[in-house]
Amino acid sequence: MLHDQTIQALTQRFGDRFSQHPAHCATHAHGEANPAAHQPDAVVFAHATEEVAALLNHCHTHHIPVTAFGAGTSLEGHVTPVQGGISLDLSQMNQILAVNDADLDVRVQAGVTRRQLNSTLRDHGLFFPVDPGADSTIGGMCATRASGTNAVRYGTMRENVLGLRAVLADGTIVDTGGRVRKSSTGYDLTRLLIGSEGTLGIITEIQLRLFGIPEATGAAICQFAGVAAAVSSVIEIIQSGIPVARIEFVDAAQMAASIAYSKLIGLQALPTLLFEFHGSAASVAEQAQQAEAITTEHGGAAFAFATAAEDRNRLWQARHDAFWAARASRPGYAVFTTDTIVPISRLAEAIAQADAAVARSGLDACVVGHVGDGNFHVMILFPDTPEAAARAWALDREIVAQALDLGGASSGEHGVGLGKREFLQREHGAPALAMMRAIKTALDPRGILNPGKILLDPLVSDC
Amino acid sequence: MIAPDSEAGFACAIAAATAAKSALNLTGYGSKAGFLRPVVAGETLSTRAFRGVSLYAPKELVLSARSGTPLAELEATLAASGQHLIAEPPRYGFLGGAAATQSFGGVIACNLSGPRRIAWGAMRDHVLGVRAITGRGEIMRSGGRVLKNVTGLDLAKLLTGSYGTLALLTEITVKVLPIPEETGTLVLHDLTPARAVAALSAALGSPFSVTGAAYLPERAAAAVGYDRPVALIRIEDVAASVAYRLRALSTQLSRYAASTLLDRAGSLAIWQAVRDATPLAEAMPVQGGLEEAMIWRVSVAPSRGPDILGVAQALGLDGYLDWGGGLLMLAGPASHAAASALTEAVTAVGGGWWLLRAPEALRTSLACVPEEPPALAAIRGRLQTAFDPAGIFSPGKLHAA
Repeated sequence: MLHDQTIQALTQRFGDRFSQHPAHCATHAHGEANPAAHQPDAVVFAHATEEVAALLNHCHTHHIPVTAFGAGTSLEGHVTPVQGGISLDLSQMNQILAVNDADLDVRVQAGVTRRQLNSTLRDHGLFFPVDPGADSTIGGMCATRASGTNAVRYGTMRENVLGLRAVLADGTIVDTGGRVRKSSTGYDLTRLLIGSEGTLGIITEIQLRLFGIPEATGAAICQFAGVAAAVSSVIEIIQSGIPVARIEFVDAAQMAASIAYSKLIGLQALPTLLFEFHGSAASVAEQAQQAEAITTEHGGAAFAFATAAEDRNRLWQARHDAFWAARASRPGYAVFTTDTIVPISRLAEAIAQADAAVARSGLDACVVGHVGDGNFHVMILFPDTPEAAARAWALDREIVAQALDLGGASSGEHGVGLGKREFLQREHGAPALAMMRAIKTALDPRGILNPGKILLDPLVSDC
Repeated sequence: MIAPDSEAGFACAIAAATAAKSALNLTGYGSKAGFLRPVVAGETLSTRAFRGVSLYAPKELVLSARSGTPLAELEATLAASGQHLIAEPPRYGFLGGAAATQSFGGVIACNLSGPRRIAWGAMRDHVLGVRAITGRGEIMRSGGRVLKNVTGLDLAKLLTGSYGTLALLTEITVKVLPIPEETGTLVLHDLTPARAVAALSAALGSPFSVTGAAYLPERAAAAVGYDRPVALIRIEDVAASVAYRLRALSTQLSRYAASTLLDRAGSLAIWQAVRDATPLAEAMPVQGGLEEAMIWRVSVAPSRGPDILGVAQALGLDGYLDWGGGLLMLAGPASHAAASALTEAVTAVGGGWWLLRAPEALRTSLACVPEEPPALAAIRGRLQTAFDPAGIFSPGKLHAA
């Protein structure tokens, strides 16, 4: 519950952009795919960094929790204000501030979405490569250290953010990194804030690194008798230095669903790899030839290659529609997506273990993966009942435990949020967790920023 | 000097130093002792006895090594499998020539990257995980050996580039890549700095995946055998593609200057020189030798590089541009006035710097890295206290106490 003085102060400052309307509170209670919703006491729609600073200063003084909200597409409950307080909506801070063609960078406000950004950049012959499935905000992608299908070639948010403007818990505005190519001369606060899930500061402006749109793009598809042959192909392709932009894996169950859903012709329900190559026309063709030679050696069949946009999209149809095809394969079922990552040499083993766990659970699942980096998603399909949801939840936990045993991590790109907190101690060990807690306490001594996320037990506030 | 050969040994020494509140100078082989400010510490804690590659999975493109492993040893291990460190860390000539042994830990602690930084990211970008000892004497691990993760605060990146002021790195896991089959370089002749950076930007913005973009003005160019300034553009990939892309670039950039091509051997040699800053030592003789020189690594937006080079030359320094114009390696006679004027000019364009070598009097009286705004300085202080409550790690290295 907010005190009257807070309601008055924030109404005075934000007018109708401070809202306690039930509809606003309801839409800011959760992200995607998270059942544990909790409403904020109010939503504030910010338009400027200075407004965020004023809000945090007030909330710091009065010990009010603040949880940032962008497009609301997070998958692990990051945006859920589990302790109430303010949901700080940054989606209206959506200005692209400066595109610097010569320096290959751009400055944006946190609420700019990635599609909005790329649509502007297209006219400059440039693009921003990080592409999580949803049309998330750049601020949210920074906060969750998002990645996507081309991380092997272009990296994740971690590698593509040059600098940030952020507001600390007490309202202090800081600029980290900057326009320069080299990261900061002091501690790398940019990388500390990226992936901190709104627990250390509120990111309001971002300087991003850009890339030239490739002269040519090629797509390819190839099918295998088994998962191991597909994964071995990927390992050899990467090891041989072919600069593949994207390599995606789709398992037999997912291919069956996609063939039915997208009416795919000439493909079978077999483990499948999809490739995308970027470069000059000659290098794209050459990369495809090299990839084909390697996949053929590993028993790959039906290798198809295309460069025209329409043909490329057709080859990638199965991947583009994977989620919807999986859903359609079990009408009325819910979907829960796992996010483990393992060393690529253990990937075939990890997928086999996950398949066995799925079989034991009695549930159905499809597997897709960003195989180039060992990250794969098991889309667990389950009847929409509490009992089945609990089984899906247990299956996720089992798959995470398997990944950790193989030297992997509980999450490759979705984040910790609420859902993966219990695994952090096992993954990092107590001393690293103690350091994370010490850093959290140092930057947010009163624990007002997105409380309850990443670290399991609550902070003890002593001020 | 204390040089333990186990993590337990480091933890013990650090816990004892924290209990006694006595400072430690964290080091490997001491090659970078001249970087930034002199450390004020009664004892030196070295990683030199803690060495060796602990995990190397060529198929996975991942390598872990203890922090005291000599860089050369580690690179030899990688080369035997046809792989290399992606950021091509420099072996600066002014560190003492080939005799200077750099430790893997030192390269990571200083986040040192070479020309390929422009295309493939900094050393820090390839750090997947670390093991480290905190000021509390606790053995900590962060990150792992997978290529990405989103599980909590990224402590490994925070420790990379912290110059031994937060924790002692004991083991680092990095991503590595295959050595490209072929490398070639397009040399653009006799351009002014501004035209050269425009040409480099055009090359970097092209679809040809340039992995090196440098400009050597007259004196630096002379050190690598050219009598007029040269702009260098490197392509690394499979042979046919390198040839094709160099030809295409040569055509695209013909409006800037006439160009020639360097083959594999010429390309490897010239980029090694750019990486290791050898043109500084050869082309900028300073009276009294390097002992009396100051050497700067300056980072600005690439479009500002030419202006800063002009400022530096007017102040009696000279050097060259790397990273498409965004990195300046500069050397000249040590002078407080010139140093202040240079850092003022860099500050005015929003850049940063590292003073890599200077007589001790300058190192103690100058800002060897930019002063931070109060808000950032406060965060730095709080982070230091979190990692190193007694303040024993390399005090004074980055900023005066």
